[in-house]
Amino acid sequence: MLEINDLWKHFRGMPALKGVSFRVERGQIYGLLGHNGAGKSTTLGIILGMVAATKGDVVIDGISIQKDRSRALRKVGAIFEAPSFYEYLSGWHNLKILMSYTGPFEEKLAREVVERVGLTKRIDSKVQTYSHGMRQRLALAQALLPEPEILLLDEPTDGLDPEGIKWFRDFILDLRKERGMTVLFNSHLLAEVEQMCDRIAILQGGERVFEGPIKGLAEEQIRYEIDAEPSGHVAAIIAPHGGTVENAGVIHLPHSVDAAHVLHDLVFAGIKVRSFTPKRRSLEDLYMEIKHEHKPRLIV
Amino acid sequence: MNFLSQLSGEMRKLFARPRTYIGYIAFLAMEILILVVYKLDRTQDYTRKQLQNNGLEFDTYYSSLSITFTIMLLSMFVLGSVFFALVAGDIVAKEHEDGNLRLIFARPISRLRLLLVKYSAVCLYTISFVFFVGISGYLMAVAAVGWEGGLFVMEPKMKVFAAYPEWSEGASRLALGALGISFSMITISSIAFMFSCFKMKPAAATIITLSILFVDMILQNFPFFRPYEEWFVTWRMSAWLFLMENHLPWAKVLESFAFLGGLNATVFVIGWLSFQSRDFKT
Repeated sequence: MLEINDLWKHFRGMPALKGVSFRVERGQIYGLLGHNGAGKSTTLGIILGMVAATKGDVVIDGISIQKDRSRALRKVGAIFEAPSFYEYLSGWHNLKILMSYTGPFEEKLAREVVERVGLTKRIDSKVQTYSHGMRQRLALAQALLPEPEILLLDEPTDGLDPEGIKWFRDFILDLRKERGMTVLFNSHLLAEVEQMCDRIAILQGGERVFEGPIKGLAEEQIRYEIDAEPSGHVAAIIAPHGGTVENAGVIHLPHSVDAAHVLHDLVFAGIKVRSFTPKRRSLEDLYMEIKHEHKPRLIV
Repeated sequence: MNFLSQLSGEMRKLFARPRTYIGYIAFLAMEILILVVYKLDRTQDYTRKQLQNNGLEFDTYYSSLSITFTIMLLSMFVLGSVFFALVAGDIVAKEHEDGNLRLIFARPISRLRLLLVKYSAVCLYTISFVFFVGISGYLMAVAAVGWEGGLFVMEPKMKVFAAYPEWSEGASRLALGALGISFSMITISSIAFMFSCFKMKPAAATIITLSILFVDMILQNFPFFRPYEEWFVTWRMSAWLFLMENHLPWAKVLESFAFLGGLNATVFVIGWLSFQSRDFKT
């Protein structure tokens, strides 16, 4: 559905993207991760034709954005962090104006979308009276109005309260479930990406340093926090199971090992186990590992 | 995509902003002031003398049409240019500054088309503003001196002198003049629009436009530049005055309007090329 092929971008001679490639399949929620300045927004800018690539190509549903931007963007909706609307107009007029740049404004569809994002009561109020959460709902409405097949989300949950973040996440997941919507989710909120995405790419310094499914990542290895005494004997007891001690209080076990057996052996060996808590490897762990590794990785 | 619906959205944006109305309010206030001064005895005596020196009757030409012409002649370039430059200088640069362009660029509209919509809106604003000044000035003048009377036109610098004793003839010639001023004023809007397409603040686009026009006007008035006056933009912008002459000098009018039309098209293309080559990072 979305192909990013060997994207390069230089700003005044400084490389901002260095040959970034990835592919988002139809119905997939794809996370694009990276710290500030990693190249996420530049990638999104090139996808939308706001930024001209120095080299490379973006293809949306078989249409090259560089060759036929207007046709390629027909099926695209986009949301940005802190979307800037026309403050002095109502939400409804904002939708009408933005929609006029895509095609005819269908009032019935617009009413449905507004209702779905929960803005019906305030849609005729001026945007300057909206809270951040309401603006983000309006942003979602404008992105959904052209009935897109692909949604590009650029840090959409930044600044939202926890309730707003959950609402947004559930909304996007529902969209995927109902319409098979393809989503490119650009974020530095690792927890959000972990909860929403099927697959991720991590950018660092304009390079893709990781690309792969998120599910495999989380389950690749299982870590446990352990509070045991004497702690010095733990390593010897878990070693036959293939386990290792990462540092005091954290052990790694292969995914195939039943933790109950390990715990049984520890207790049987006379070790006093006060707590034994599974701790899955988070995306944050992975991100920090990659940040310090500086080595491109690829999991297919 | 419908150009008209895009244009109507652009006009809605334009007229929903309070700063669009500053010009209207300023001109209304100025028109009231001019009319008050026009009614003063000493002003009437001066006008009477001037008309009589030219062999014209005071009762015929001390009229609403003559007052309207004077208002448009004296105020449009000096005061109107400020508002045209303000609105046109804002129209692209402000949307970039406010971040609105990001949402537009997520849509399948080309940059050229977007600029055409915005430029059309600026032209419509300019034309509507000129006619607003003309009509409101005329209505106020009617309230002050009545609707009857002819039209007296005198502008020594452009060597234009004309008198229309009949109201109908004067009114139609004044309407033609208003069309001419509109076209001339579009040049100010076009220059400001071009700067608005550049990577600069809206205020900078406005100030640079006004600076260019005022420098052009000052240089044009230097005695030793007089032989080259036809090369100055502001002189060409004054060519609408030829439309007020009794015998219309179409060749002179068309020559100047072609010059302005060419200039407008050129600055639009320069603005578009600059806008097209820019990166708009999210």
